[in-house]
Amino acid sequence: MIRLTRRFDFSAAHVLARSDWSPERNRSVYGKCANPAGHGHNYSFEVTLEGALDPRTGELLPAGRLDELVAARVLRELDGRFLNRDVPWFARHVPTAENIAKHIWDSLAGGVAPARLVGVRLVETRNNSVEILGDEDSA
Amino acid sequence: MDFSASYRDASGATKGHNYELEVTLSGEVDPATGMVVDLKDLKELMEREVEARFDHRSLSDDTPYFRERPATPETFAQLIFELLDAALPKGSLYRVRLSPTRDLTVEVTR
Repeated sequence: MIRLTRRFDFSAAHVLARSDWSPERNRSVYGKCANPAGHGHNYSFEVTLEGALDPRTGELLPAGRLDELVAARVLRELDGRFLNRDVPWFARHVPTAENIAKHIWDSLAGGVAPARLVGVRLVETRNNSVEILGDEDSA
Repeated sequence: MDFSASYRDASGATKGHNYELEVTLSGEVDPATGMVVDLKDLKELMEREVEARFDHRSLSDDTPYFRERPATPETFAQLIFELLDAALPKGSLYRVRLSPTRDLTVEVTR
């Protein structure tokens, strides 16, 4: 079995708060991350693919395909943004590390054929990361 | 283990990397030594099977392995798995991880 993992970086601002909760409740659940002014992170994430090598090229995916896909579907949407305000999906979902990882997974799933998406790991700070493991074919 | 090598890509251009290689074995802990494997033996085996073959070489020109197939991170990691698997006690090789750059890792398991 062969897997390929590629790492990417982006920076973004967010606020952890729900608009249907009071400021006090947001503060009690999300702590300092609920500050309405927002704060930012240098995020990185790792995308893991699995599949069979093309015997002609020796690759899981044609060179550059994953980079182009990630640039088009993820980095363009998230890099340099205020996630809550600038990204429609995060107007409805609190941009926690968990939800950002899920959003990246959903954005890439279906785009890496003939390989399969089997992992997304989002690193928010050096102490916090979230990993989604699965197989898009069986999801 | 770290080593450096070059290769010719699909367009014929010569490229090179500092490769980082991580090898994982699995097995029972020997009750006498308390070890799964003697790391000195593993180091010598990796030096013989990997470093001696590839360090400061062109994978495409100085080794026989990439005449029929292109040298990519994927095929190189697979080759290293095959070479180590053949040299280690049967079934003991669990995983090979090869990183040509800090942003790319290829992992081969059985």
